[in-house]
Amino acid sequence: MTNKIMKWVSWSVFLAFLAVYPKLFGIYYTNVFVTFAIFALYAVTLNLLLGYTGLLSFGHAMFFGAGGYGTALVLTHMKGVSLSMALMTGFLSAVGLALILCPIMVRVSGTAFAMLHLAFGQLMYVLSLKLRSITGGEDGIGGFPIPSFTIPGIVFVNMKAPENFYYFAIAVLGASIWMLWFFTKTPFGSIQVGVRDNAMRIDYLGFKVPQTKAVVYIVAGGFAGVAGSISAMFHNLVSADGALHILNSFVPVMMTMIGGIGSFFGPIWGAAIFQVIEELTSRYTQRVELVVGLILILVIMFTPMGFVGILRSIKQKWTTYKIRRKS
Amino acid sequence: MDPTTAMYVAQGIHGLAYGMVLFLVASGLTMIFGMMGILNLAHASFFMLSAYFCYQFLSITGNFWAALLLAPVATAFFGVLLERFLLRKIHAFGHVGELILTVGVSLVILAGVKIFWGTESLPVKVPPILHGLVTIKGLDYPIYRLFVIGLALVVLAIMALLLYKTRLGKIVRAGVSDADMVNALGINMPLVFMFVFGVGTWLAGVAGVAIAPILTVFPGLADQMGMDAFIVVVTGGFGSLKGAFIVSLIFGELSAYGVQFFSQLAPVLMFLFMAIVLIIKPMGLFGERE
Amino acid sequence: MNILETKGLYHDFSKLQVLFDVNLQVKEGERHAVIGPNGAGKTTLFNVITGTYHPSRGQVFFKGKEVTGARPHEMTRLGMGRSFQITSTFGRLTAFQNIRLAILSKKGIRFQFFRKVDSMQAITEETDQVLKRINLDRERNIPASMLSYGKHRALEISLALATDPDLVMLDEPTAGMSKDETHYAVQLIRRLTEGKTLVIIEHDMDVVFSLADRITVLHYGQILATGSPFEIRENQAVKDAYLGALEV
Ligand SMILES: Nc1ncnc2c1ncn2[C@@H]1O[C@H](COP(=O)(O)OP(=O)(O)OP(=O)(O)O)[C@@H](O)[C@H]1O
Ligand SMILES: [Mg+2]
Repeated sequence: MTNKIMKWVSWSVFLAFLAVYPKLFGIYYTNVFVTFAIFALYAVTLNLLLGYTGLLSFGHAMFFGAGGYGTALVLTHMKGVSLSMALMTGFLSAVGLALILCPIMVRVSGTAFAMLHLAFGQLMYVLSLKLRSITGGEDGIGGFPIPSFTIPGIVFVNMKAPENFYYFAIAVLGASIWMLWFFTKTPFGSIQVGVRDNAMRIDYLGFKVPQTKAVVYIVAGGFAGVAGSISAMFHNLVSADGALHILNSFVPVMMTMIGGIGSFFGPIWGAAIFQVIEELTSRYTQRVELVVGLILILVIMFTPMGFVGILRSIKQKWTTYKIRRKS
Repeated sequence: MDPTTAMYVAQGIHGLAYGMVLFLVASGLTMIFGMMGILNLAHASFFMLSAYFCYQFLSITGNFWAALLLAPVATAFFGVLLERFLLRKIHAFGHVGELILTVGVSLVILAGVKIFWGTESLPVKVPPILHGLVTIKGLDYPIYRLFVIGLALVVLAIMALLLYKTRLGKIVRAGVSDADMVNALGINMPLVFMFVFGVGTWLAGVAGVAIAPILTVFPGLADQMGMDAFIVVVTGGFGSLKGAFIVSLIFGELSAYGVQFFSQLAPVLMFLFMAIVLIIKPMGLFGERE
Repeated sequence: MNILETKGLYHDFSKLQVLFDVNLQVKEGERHAVIGPNGAGKTTLFNVITGTYHPSRGQVFFKGKEVTGARPHEMTRLGMGRSFQITSTFGRLTAFQNIRLAILSKKGIRFQFFRKVDSMQAITEETDQVLKRINLDRERNIPASMLSYGKHRALEISLALATDPDLVMLDEPTAGMSKDETHYAVQLIRRLTEGKTLVIIEHDMDVVFSLADRITVLHYGQILATGSPFEIRENQAVKDAYLGALEV
């Protein structure tokens, strides 16, 4: 009972904090927070593949990019598109891409899966540079109109104002993360973890492994597209280097590794820690690759279970310490 | 011979030279994979590193031949360091750990070359004897490309001798097709692994030197070659040298003639080829295992 | 009636012939043991029947229907359960979560995205009942890979049984167990397969002769003999090839 009350209280405090955040920290840190939230969702979708299904992707950026380009294209070329339609287009573009790829991808795993994603990710990158008339080449697509959030006659919220966009982005990204969390808690979610641990036995228990993987793949891709769509509207720009570059595929892998591969919230921690590191280092150095590379090496060498892993081992030491003191 | 045919033949030579270089890189990659199950995502970075070493040795000694000899060896040294001090320590964490680690290393190498050599394209001059064209039966061939083909053949011959005539070669060949089996025979595998890793990166190093005068040396070199080499390994089949050889040559020609006919979309051709192969055979043309 | 039947089954691994013309017949409701020396092809026979491999030649019939080359999940849905010689559970999941997967499958709950699995009371209860029956209720929340050997084997066997199959195929369920553990496991198997058809691969002759109604002897990939325990004991060919060596 008290547990339930505690839960409600902490959730209310958290939501209140999110509500007053822009007032408290000003526009710069409001935008930093939106960036963090975008990457948090993006990293969570990657972990759905990596941590929950055992599939490492080095091409996740193509879904992020599909979402971004889908939204940017529909906003550029169609009049009267609503905010939710723009978002939906981004989501569906990524889902479409996942649908096209999944017949091949569900048949492989391990190294082959990682490599195929690297290759297809690069293909998307090259295509977005070459198909200039559609994607705008190196410049990308920018300056498209951002629709307002309207319910005719009732609400009109201008999304050009950073604070308003903050609330919109946080609502969408937060809801997406919650849905994915719920997804992992469903019966399907437990079958998914079974595929990671022992795909052959899942088959012998009467579940279809390829179909299970396909559903996870499409969900992970689609929600990465949501992150990409929000990102495109946030920057009012989507470009090959910003969305589809291979570094953008490595970033969520790294966030997941930093945060902790074995937990749902690990990647979110990872995104936060990464954001802080980036804030600090970008003031002193331009060398993103060096920072990213060194972090990957250090994490894998010294804390392969990431931040959540460290937390867990501290907690464990603390309980054994308490038990020892008692006796 | 009429000019059109001459042009086709010249393109063919270009394709063959590129295919051979590609095979040097891909063979190292697939050998390391077959033997150790490690897909070294930093492999192409070693290829690039060797090109930079070549540039550096050349500007110090002024002798291309010295650079050709030294740069790959220096590169292999770094490869061995990677295997001995990083990869071996994280073996317990599985393939995901190895992939992430080698990505990290490739990024550090990329940042490193930018810090030491900047982002400009650096030219590598070949000695006069490799300059210009040679005319055979009324057809002009660029000497350097022919040299590259010859160099690759010599390296292949050395490799073949090593693999088929020595005890070590026998162990490596057995290891590539069945690592567990060799493990069970009580051979000092860590040492063999280190050796294979060294040879693999040395091969990439030779390719790096060979390509430097053609493409110049710049930080994007690893991306360009890396992608092609990975596609070769994926399409040819993980761990299959035969597959790597055949697909390298196909890709060399595909990219040479592709530029001719569909200049814009030449890179897309390779991906298309890969996609078709993988849809039919998910493990690649000659691959059998994960 | 035969619940399971193979006709002229062959299988080879790139040149290595493992099964030759295997005609196995399992009657509904019987306990059928498959015995034979190491490498005889017993596990391969299971793999071909249950769908790991497609046979090189021949047919498999289950419940009167041809199922040659059907995938494992199809066989499971038709009512077959199978355990493995080398323990193959979900290592990082708890004993409870392991069994729960089997219960979900039994209930046909597969693509269910709108409820939390933890809040499905009926599933939880049934899973706990299974755990109690196999004496694993105290290890409920321990990851499978951390269980003691005996308990891990019990979990392995129960995974095959928890989907409530009509035909149970157990591959050396007692492999590696101590005498006591074996005794306990045999009782467990007897109890859990009540009213079902059982095909069991077993090396322990005491177990075989006490448990089985009929025995098939596999030797170098061929069926040497099939019959009641008494017939097998008296069969000269079997004695020469196999039992003699074991001095039964
Ligand atoms: N996947 C495989 N690839 C190649 N050969 C195999 C494979 N599986 C089994 N074999 C071979 O097939 C033969 C039969 O193996 P199988 O595992 O079916 O024997 P078994 O009767 O179950 O033996 P045991 O009593 O040791 O379990 C053996 O010679 C084995 O080496
Ligand atoms: Mg067996």
